[in-house]
Amino acid sequence: MTTTPSTGGPSDSVVQDFADMSAALTGFQSSFLRPFLDPTNLSEVFYNFAVAQVGQTAMDDLLNAFRAIQKEPAQKIADTLLEVKIPTGKESSQAQIAQAIILMWYLGSWYTPAYQTANNQPGQVLQVISSQAYTKSLVWNVAQAHPMGFSAFTFGYWSQPPAGLNTFGVNTGGGQ
Amino acid sequence: MSNGNGSGNPQYDVVIVGAGVSGNLIAKQLGLAGKKVLILEAGPAVPDSREQYMENFYLALAKTPESPYPSLAGRTGPGVGTLPNPSVIPTPRATVLSIGGKPDVSHLIQSETAGVSGTTPDNQPEVRQLQFSSTYDRIGGGTAWHWLGSVPRLVPHDLTMKTTYDVFYDWPIEYSEMQRLWGLAESEIGVAASVAQQQPLQAAIGMTYPPGYQYPMGPIPSSVVDQTVSNGVSGMSVPGEGSEGGKEYSVFVTNTPAGRNSEPYQDRRVCAGNTNCIPICPIQAKWDPTVTLGDALNTGNVTVSYQSVATNIAVDGNNVTQIDYLQWSYDANGNLQSTPASVTGKIYVAACHAIENAKLLLLSNDQEGIANKSDQVGRNLMDHVLYLAWALAPAPVWGYRGPLATGGIESLRDGEFRTNRAAFRMEIGNEGWNFACGDPYTTTLDFVTGTNGSQLNPGATRLGGTALAMTLNDRLTRQFRFGLLLEQAPQADNCVTIDKNNTDGLGIPRPHVDYGLDKYTLEGFRVAADTCSAIFQQMGAQEFTQPTVNPYPPDKKPGPGDFNYEGKMYHMYGAGHIMGTHRMGTDPCTSVVDATQKSHDVQNLWIVGSGSFPTVATANPTLTIMALAFKSAEAITAALGA
Repeated sequence: MTTTPSTGGPSDSVVQDFADMSAALTGFQSSFLRPFLDPTNLSEVFYNFAVAQVGQTAMDDLLNAFRAIQKEPAQKIADTLLEVKIPTGKESSQAQIAQAIILMWYLGSWYTPAYQTANNQPGQVLQVISSQAYTKSLVWNVAQAHPMGFSAFTFGYWSQPPAGLNTFGVNTGGGQ
Repeated sequence: MSNGNGSGNPQYDVVIVGAGVSGNLIAKQLGLAGKKVLILEAGPAVPDSREQYMENFYLALAKTPESPYPSLAGRTGPGVGTLPNPSVIPTPRATVLSIGGKPDVSHLIQSETAGVSGTTPDNQPEVRQLQFSSTYDRIGGGTAWHWLGSVPRLVPHDLTMKTTYDVFYDWPIEYSEMQRLWGLAESEIGVAASVAQQQPLQAAIGMTYPPGYQYPMGPIPSSVVDQTVSNGVSGMSVPGEGSEGGKEYSVFVTNTPAGRNSEPYQDRRVCAGNTNCIPICPIQAKWDPTVTLGDALNTGNVTVSYQSVATNIAVDGNNVTQIDYLQWSYDANGNLQSTPASVTGKIYVAACHAIENAKLLLLSNDQEGIANKSDQVGRNLMDHVLYLAWALAPAPVWGYRGPLATGGIESLRDGEFRTNRAAFRMEIGNEGWNFACGDPYTTTLDFVTGTNGSQLNPGATRLGGTALAMTLNDRLTRQFRFGLLLEQAPQADNCVTIDKNNTDGLGIPRPHVDYGLDKYTLEGFRVAADTCSAIFQQMGAQEFTQPTVNPYPPDKKPGPGDFNYEGKMYHMYGAGHIMGTHRMGTDPCTSVVDATQKSHDVQNLWIVGSGSFPTVATANPTLTIMALAFKSAEAITAALGA
C-alpha cells in the first residue's frame, strides 16, 4: 500500500477513512472493501469519482462527520450518517451523498443524489463507473451470488446452497 | 466481388445471406461436402475475442440482450451515447430499448397505439396494435449470440395440430424424421441432457426418443430454485377444461435439455454458471453460431463477406440469377460509405432471420416481391408471447446463480385444450427478479433511497449498514420467477411488410410490423396467469406479478405490451422467438417453402430459419431451426450433385 501520491491524489489516510466509512454504510468488512493487496483500488477510484460529483467540501464534511463518530458501532454510524430516523425526502444533502456512496459500492454505478437532480428525485443513474466497479459490485455478495457475467464459481455450484453470508464479506453483526 | 460478367460460370456453388444458426450450419455441411460457399453477412465480423463484447456489457447501464453488441454499445459512427437513429446506420436492428419507439428510434415501424382490445368481424375477442416485442441482432454470428440455450424438442402433436386438434396446420415432416434431425442438431450444439430424466414426459405429453438414443453429454444440474419448485408442486395437478371433464394434468418439474457444456466439448469449457446466457456467455460454454462458423471456415471452402447487406435477389423466370448487395464501411471521418456489388451461385439461401428474410423477399424484383405466389411471405408472424410471473419463496432459493434456466414444467405443453386455447411451457428462472423488475438494482435502490419500485419496500424504509445487507439478503435470496412461452396462433394479419417511407442508413426500406393476439392466444394468457398463481399458492410463495410493466400510468394509457382481456390487465413480453413469416407446407397455394425449406416458386432458392415454422408450439426454436437447416443442407447437397 503506497502513501500519498505526489500527483495530488488523496492521502492514504483519507482513502482509509473513506473505506472505513464505506464499510459502516454498506455493512461490509472494511478489510474486504480495502484489502492489504488491492489491485483494483476501488476505494480510491470511488473516492475520486464521488469528489468529482459532489465537490471536495461536501466530501470533507461527510468524512469529518464520520470521524467524529468513528468509535461507535458500525450500524449506529450508518444510521446516523444516513439520518434513517428522518422521513424519506427530508434527509440532508449529506445523507443523500452517503446513499450515493452505498449505491456506488453495491451497484457499481453512480446515482445522482436527489438534491443535484432537476426534479429532486433519487435513483437517477449517471453511469457504470468502470467494468471493475461492476464485477466487484457488492449487491451480488449480499445475494450470496456473483455479478451476472462474472462468476468465479465452478460447474454445478448452483445445485447446492451457497456458503454463509459472512464469507461474502458481509459484516453480519457484532461490529468489526 | 464483381458480377460474374453475367454469363460465365457462377462464382460459388452456394450463396448464403446471413451468418447465423441456419446459414453457418448449411455452410459447414456444404463446405464439408467440398462445395464452394459464400456467406453475405450484413453486420460486422465476429471479433477475435469476446472481451470487447464483455466490456460493452459490463459498462452498459441497461443490460439488455443487445447490450454487448455493436451498433448500440461499442459502435463507431453516428448515434454514440444514445439510441441510434435507424435511418442513419447501416444495419439497424430491433432492440429491447427501442420497443414502442418512433421510427427515429425503432428499426421496426409499428403502430404507436398499444394494445387495442376489440372483436373480430365474427365477434371473437382480439387485441390489435400490440407492439411486437421480440428483437434480433445483425452481426456475424447472428441473434443466437444471446440465445438462452434451452433446447427442448417439440412434442408429437405439435406437428399435427390440424389432424389432432382441427386448428391451424400440420407440419410437412413426420415426427420420426424430426427425431433424426434433432439428433444431428443435438450433436452439433452439444446438448447436455438425460433421456431417463425426460422419461416422465412420455406419459404426460407423448415425448419419445428413438431406441437407445443418448444425448451427447450428461445433464446440467438442476438449480436450488428448480428443486424448490419441484418439491413445492409435488402431487399437484390442474383440471382439464371444457369437454375434457375429469381429466387432470399433473404438474411436475423436468430438467431442461441445454446447449451448454456439462463436460468439455468442441474445445469449449464446461458451464461455470455465470447466469448471463442472455446477453452473453463470457466463456462460450454455451454453443453459439460462431462455433459452427469456425468449423465452416476450417473446411477451406467457405468465405464470409461481412458488412454486406443483401438488397435484391434477382430472378429470371423461376431461377435466381444473382444477389445484389451493398458493401458498407465508415471512412476515417465516420461517414458511412457503401458500394453496390453482386454475386452469383448455383443455389441461393436466405438465412437472415424471420423478419429480415421476409423483408429481403419483399424488396426483391423491384419491390414486387419474389417466392410469394402464396401471398404468405411476411404473414403469420409469431412469437412465443411470454407471460412472466414472480414471487418470493417462503425460504431462500438462492437465485442469481447458475445458468439462467435449468428446469421447467413441460407437462402442460399438450392436451385436448389445444382445440381452444394456447398451450405453454413454463420456464423456471434462476435470475431472481432480474427479468421481472430489474433486480437486484431496483430493490437495492428502494431500501437505500426509500422508494418502492420493487413492491418490497411498502413502508418506504431507508436502511444502511448491516441492516441493509441482511434485509436485501432476505429478499433477494427468496426471489424467483416463471416465464411462460405461449403458443401463438398463426394469423394472416400479423405481418411484416416493407415501409418505403422509412429507410435505413443504406437507403433500404425498413420492416413494418402489424401485430396482435387472437382469442386462442389470449385464452392461453388467461390460463397461464391462473396456473402460475395456483402454483405459487401451492408452494406457499407470495406472488408479486404486476399486470403492467410499469406502475399503471395516471393517464390510463397502456404501455407497450400491456393489454386488457375480459376486464383484466396483462403484460406480454417478447420471447425473442421470431417465427412464421415464410411458412412451410406441401401446398404452394398456402405455404412459401417445402419440407426442405426450398421455395415452392423459385427452384434454386432456399428460405430457412424459424420463419418456416407453420405453427410454433411451445419449444424454444433454436434446436428445430438447426434441425431444419440439416435437412436443407442435405437437399442442397443432393441438388448440386457430385
